[in-house]
Amino acid sequence: MNTATRFNAPSPLQWVSLVTAAALVLPTGYIMYLALTAAPAVWNRLWSTRIPELLWNTLSLATSVALTTLVLGVSLAWIMVRYEFPGRRLWEWAVVLPLAMPTYVLAYVYAHLLGMGGPTEQWWQAIMGSEAKLVSPHSFPGVTLIMALDTFPFVYLLARSALLNLNVSFEEVARACGVPPWSTLWRVTLPLIRPAIAAGLALVILYVVSDFGAVSLLRYQTLTYAVYQQMTGRYDQSAASILSLLLVVMAIIFLVTERWFRRRSRFYQTSGRFRTSTRRHEGILGTILITAYVLLVFGASFGIPAVMLVQWSIAAVAQGALDARFFGFIWNSSFLSALAAGGAVLIGLPLAYLASRRPSRLNLACLQAAYAGYALPGPVAALAVLVLFTHFVPALYGSVILLLVAYILHFIPVGLQSMEPALQQVTPNVEEVARTLGCTTRETLRRVTLPLIQSGCITAWVLMFLQTMKELPATLLLRPVGFDTLAIRVWQEASEEYYQLAAPSALLIVLLSVPALLLLVAKDWRGRDRGVIT
Amino acid sequence: MASFRRVLLALTFILGIGGLSQDMTSSVFGADKLVVYSGRAERLIKPVLDEFQSKSGIQIELLSSGTTELVNRLQAEGDHTPADVFLTNDAGSLEHARELKLLRPMNMREVERAIPAQFRASDNSWIGLSGRFWIVVYNTHLVKPDQIKSLLDLAQPQWKDKIAIPNSGSEYLQAGVSVIKATFGEDRTKQFLQGLKTNAGSQVYQKSSQIVEAVAKGQVAVGIVNHYYIYRHLAAQPSAPIAALMPDQQEGGMGAIMNVSGIGVTRASKHVDNAKLLLEFLVAQAGQKLFADLDKEYPLHPDVKADPALVDRHAFRAALVPLARLAELREPTLTLIEQVGLR
Repeated sequence: MNTATRFNAPSPLQWVSLVTAAALVLPTGYIMYLALTAAPAVWNRLWSTRIPELLWNTLSLATSVALTTLVLGVSLAWIMVRYEFPGRRLWEWAVVLPLAMPTYVLAYVYAHLLGMGGPTEQWWQAIMGSEAKLVSPHSFPGVTLIMALDTFPFVYLLARSALLNLNVSFEEVARACGVPPWSTLWRVTLPLIRPAIAAGLALVILYVVSDFGAVSLLRYQTLTYAVYQQMTGRYDQSAASILSLLLVVMAIIFLVTERWFRRRSRFYQTSGRFRTSTRRHEGILGTILITAYVLLVFGASFGIPAVMLVQWSIAAVAQGALDARFFGFIWNSSFLSALAAGGAVLIGLPLAYLASRRPSRLNLACLQAAYAGYALPGPVAALAVLVLFTHFVPALYGSVILLLVAYILHFIPVGLQSMEPALQQVTPNVEEVARTLGCTTRETLRRVTLPLIQSGCITAWVLMFLQTMKELPATLLLRPVGFDTLAIRVWQEASEEYYQLAAPSALLIVLLSVPALLLLVAKDWRGRDRGVIT
Repeated sequence: MASFRRVLLALTFILGIGGLSQDMTSSVFGADKLVVYSGRAERLIKPVLDEFQSKSGIQIELLSSGTTELVNRLQAEGDHTPADVFLTNDAGSLEHARELKLLRPMNMREVERAIPAQFRASDNSWIGLSGRFWIVVYNTHLVKPDQIKSLLDLAQPQWKDKIAIPNSGSEYLQAGVSVIKATFGEDRTKQFLQGLKTNAGSQVYQKSSQIVEAVAKGQVAVGIVNHYYIYRHLAAQPSAPIAALMPDQQEGGMGAIMNVSGIGVTRASKHVDNAKLLLEFLVAQAGQKLFADLDKEYPLHPDVKADPALVDRHAFRAALVPLARLAELREPTLTLIEQVGLR
């Protein structure tokens, strides 16, 4: 092994990864540069008018959604892990399904369900008298509820696996010392799963802060929505870049928090005499209460909206919504998503490969750079790509390429998260054996490494494909002529309150997302459960 | 593993095509196409374009988006823009596009004959197609029409939490505020906006159709919208408790705020002849009738009658600020709007 020469002559692969990493951080960097060099007058104007309100709106929404998901997620995790009731195995999966529903779909269903003159209000007024009012879906509590129903599975999933991995002896010791059950819960169990809950909440907050679909349909002013409004309402993009800078900083803070908590959660893995808790069988009343609660959460977050979508779709199809245009939208969505996912796999692979095989500082930094997209909410990614291209390669503006770059930038972290572990699981020994048996580097890569990481790459592709399919703000801002996607149709029809016409596209997006979601969760499921058994 | 390589190869191949697809589509459709950038709601424009397409055989490709966003886009795309025609709902944006040299001056006798000069750019680089008025919609159960004389009345404290307004990115609001500012001056306009902001609270909407909906449901008593959204709603739901009110008609009043939707041919267009055909179609009597009636707007062709459901055009006055001035008034208006902190 002659490492010295390797450093002197960087391989082509090294160059490729350097260039991609640079290309991936460039848009974010450029936005930051634009924001920091914007005229002080623009900063002043924004600070004295919009920013305080936007910051307050964004942070208060994130906090209230986080608190709601905390209650929903932890209580459900507790029920699923500690109680036995009819259909538990099914419910365990079912309550994850809201993640398959993009926020704009849930928001638009609820805008109708809870809206003025909507079905819920009519029913409510029939009981409570004609003057009774419901919480408006456009109000702060309304937006909180809708976002929380969409995001609580993050907390649920993490809390559930933490509870499964919890050594029940701690609780038994507490109980043996005479601590009452509720107190044990507060003083022993919850503190032990706190890191997992915190990580889940950080994800929820990040999701809320960067969401565009729900807040735009519900007209709730957050920073992300304001970036879009500034971009589409003004000729000058400096205000949008300033708001973007704030958002990116905010997102980075939450990401770092989440990683920190994840790392801390490892301290709580117990070894030695490990036992899981047994599930309690409740009496009839208890079982009914538990089932009713699970049913309520599932119904509100997925069941009822899904039924509405199906009903509306049937009505829309009867009106002839499944015309050639509709299939055109499906084609556009699939075409763009396939290209973006394919591109991201090709771009991500060298980065992940180098970082795992030659983890030099440079290579690790390149990989980290690719994660920059995580901190970019959709409108910001679009803005970044847009300003960069308008200033430097205006000829490409308005082509598919812009949109693809934005997608790749935005979603490559999702792909890397599947490709990285796939590469790490291939031990270098296998590759070395191939080399000693006379394969060249290239042959080894082609005949050994690539086949071994094939399934990891396919998972990455599928995940990025689906994320792209659901993507709304960047598509709205960057799509070329004739490239309306399913997500665009949902948003356009829904924002003009044509609920039925929006339904077929929305339903299709949900149906496509469900299997991928289950696939993803199942991977996690098996890993954790095996951990429990051993 | 061979299959994996094939997939990778296929992807690179598709990726290569991806970049080219635009040129490919343009060569496939060739001369008989026209790319339209439209800042109008798609539902309001597509039927007219479909009619043109079936009459002329020219393939229309439509991109619907925000008006300002499209001006930004046209500017960014410059000479490479695929757009042949820019169709939108605000004379200020069209004039701005003209100032940026994005539009092409047109010399067409049909246009000059059909559309009066005050509704066109000086060099015909944009042409108004239909007139719209930014007026008051009120819920007939909650409000009596004599309670409101002027748009400025809506800033009074008695309307707190009773009005709905469009968000500040909306071009109608910007144009409307520009006209108010040109008529009443900066200070009164600022007071008006502050009152509007307080009274609207969270009832700030992205779309005018949503404002009318909110008024019809009684969620708010009054809204400010383009007139045609009221008639569109009434056409769909004739029993809805809403009505239109032409503000500022009192003696010496400002007059109702008018704007036009209009069209311009882009400077970079490669299908100018097709664009001319579309212009001819839209300014001719039949086209004017179709375009205006579909949206319940006022046709600009003097010989074409408006939909009988609308308030007679001769029964009210329009504000006197020239349309072309909307462009220069916009930037100071935006600053004022942001100072006040409208959403």
